[in-house]
Amino acid sequence: MKVGYPRAVHYYDYFPFWAGFFRGLDLELITSPLTNRQVLEQGLKKASDETCLPIKLLVGHIQALSGMGVDALFLPRMVSVEEKTYLCPKLLGLPESVFASVPEGMGVLTLDFNMRQGKRRVIRTLEEFAEGLGKTGAEARQGFLLAQNWQEHYESRRHEGRSFGESMGEFDPRLAGEAGRTIRFDNPDRDESAAVLTVALVGHPYLTQDNYANLNLVAKLGERAHVRFIEEMEPQGIEQGLQGLHKSVFWSHARKIMGAGASYIGDEAVDGVIYLSCFGCGTDSMTQDMVARIARQQHKPYMVLTLDEHSGEAGLVTRLEAFLDMTERRVQRESNFSAHG
Amino acid sequence: MKVTFPHMGNAWIVIQALFETLNVDVAVPPPTSKGTLNLGTKLAPESSCLPLKINLGNYIEAAAKGADTIAITGGIGPCRFGYYGELERQILRDAGYSYEVVILEPPDGSLWGLAKRIRYLAGRHNSWTKILKAIRFAYRKSVALDRVEDLIHAARPRLAEPLAAEKLYSKAKQHLIEASEDKGLEEAVFWVQQSIKECQAPLRGEKPLRVGVVGEIYTILDPFSSLDVEQQLGNLGVEVNRSIYLSSWVGQHVFQGLAQGYHPLRDYPRLAKPYLPHFVGGHGQETVGAAVQFAREGADGIIQLLPLGCMPEIVASSVLPRIQADYRIPIMTLTVDEHSGRAGVQTRLEAFVDLLERRRIRTLTREDVLNVARE
Repeated sequence: MKVGYPRAVHYYDYFPFWAGFFRGLDLELITSPLTNRQVLEQGLKKASDETCLPIKLLVGHIQALSGMGVDALFLPRMVSVEEKTYLCPKLLGLPESVFASVPEGMGVLTLDFNMRQGKRRVIRTLEEFAEGLGKTGAEARQGFLLAQNWQEHYESRRHEGRSFGESMGEFDPRLAGEAGRTIRFDNPDRDESAAVLTVALVGHPYLTQDNYANLNLVAKLGERAHVRFIEEMEPQGIEQGLQGLHKSVFWSHARKIMGAGASYIGDEAVDGVIYLSCFGCGTDSMTQDMVARIARQQHKPYMVLTLDEHSGEAGLVTRLEAFLDMTERRVQRESNFSAHG
Repeated sequence: MKVTFPHMGNAWIVIQALFETLNVDVAVPPPTSKGTLNLGTKLAPESSCLPLKINLGNYIEAAAKGADTIAITGGIGPCRFGYYGELERQILRDAGYSYEVVILEPPDGSLWGLAKRIRYLAGRHNSWTKILKAIRFAYRKSVALDRVEDLIHAARPRLAEPLAAEKLYSKAKQHLIEASEDKGLEEAVFWVQQSIKECQAPLRGEKPLRVGVVGEIYTILDPFSSLDVEQQLGNLGVEVNRSIYLSSWVGQHVFQGLAQGYHPLRDYPRLAKPYLPHFVGGHGQETVGAAVQFAREGADGIIQLLPLGCMPEIVASSVLPRIQADYRIPIMTLTVDEHSGRAGVQTRLEAFVDLLERRRIRTLTREDVLNVARE
């Protein structure tokens, strides 16, 4: 049985976990192709027009899977991955909110993944899921161990500073094959000495790591600066960044973005921070504002880039160049250029 | 210390009553207006949801009345409202307002922490018995308000004079504001019932159309934010039923289900199950459940209200088309934000009500057609 996994939303964080779990169940997990024009167009056509770009891309990826000989689609409901936090409501609404766009004849496999209920309940859910597919509980438990292992391995790779393409490529053969061509986090033509800046690109990984959705921003940024991502930040760094808050943030991603963003702002080695967001993102609307406040207090160059399906490359490049010029001048002359326009 | 709080429809009547019973100095923000919204929009993040913008406007206007402490409820997500308190604190601080923000929730699940916050607001001179008594009375007031509101919804399409219902409503609210014990609450509700009976127009032919209003709580409860959708529907001759009332929200959100309010929310998750089996934060699942309930009860149509970008309601709205197909009931989604105009909303409501009226006359006879033509 071939199970399809759309390369969208939680793929960018939790794919190693699910890849490990399905390996434990001895089932083949196939990812959809890298985001491309057709994926985006299909997504725009089939998804609800009020939802956000990542969900539209998800719908596009589901369509892309239909031509790949996939028997069923795996779309877990990721409720929570750690205690005391949730993922975004739109992820809680999966898969029901995209049912209308699932191609006819494609089954949907789903389960509720909720770490707030404790590990025991999660394992029980995974066992039930496995039993539904004709596998045994033992295989599910085996899968869970492997899944945790793979996820930890992936995260530690990222903490070491390895690129997304390289770390994820270990679990996703498709990415490894294409990594050299499309996933270019380190531009080989880049003159290392020219990159005097270090810029942190904070935002959801489904935007920062999807090079079609972000209009190849990372490669462009990489030509002039060393790019840091939130995934490279160790948990202590994130905790440290959250200290000024009177109330803890209850979305896992927003928490990570907020904490890592604040830490990067406080980091002397980082010259500027770019917040990559997308139109209609609910959690970003709040974290983005709070990160901006911290940047303003500490006079760190800061810019918000908002993506949507109408984003044009020229507009993005202009803003990026202006930002980098401003940051460079600040660094070189060490004078007090205004950090926010 | 002078306490203020954000507006949400009639909630101020209840909150004011609560604080005044406890002899806490309170500044009710002036009624929300276009000016309030403009003030809030300037400070709020651009893509934050509408209620946040209105809240901020309320605080700024209350600051002019001398308020220095904000009381707001919280939450642990995943709806954005749960984080309003902290974000609003930061925004107001940076804008130069010296507000203390007290979020009424158990911080990290600690009831002791909640008790301390209540104690902080209520001051030393109130005993716990008095505080609990005040809370209970305020709750009963919210139930009475909901009953009155429901009666007004029924009255609007039935009273001969269009403005009669509004006059009745504001008078009833005045009675409820003044009521300081249970007897007064009962009398106000009874008075509204009697008044409606007296000036009810004889029904012409059919019963009025019935539309269920579901969706995001703030836009349902706060007529300013929805540009008076319920009143506009009433004026079009429609009886409005809504999915969620103030007291049910208080019962569920503040009392954690210990009280159920005027119209309990507890059935909704079960009804929503075939379409959305998991909560999605806010009242997304309740919206779906309520839509199912209205459809089963034979409502003529359903309107979903939400502020632009509301995450739980977007999930709900992508599920609603399946209910529309299964129950053959028209469902319209109405999104509002600070740029919404009254005329735009009115046009959409009129078109929707027209559609519902046509559906009633499913099989047209020759005479029906002539009648429509004559009208």
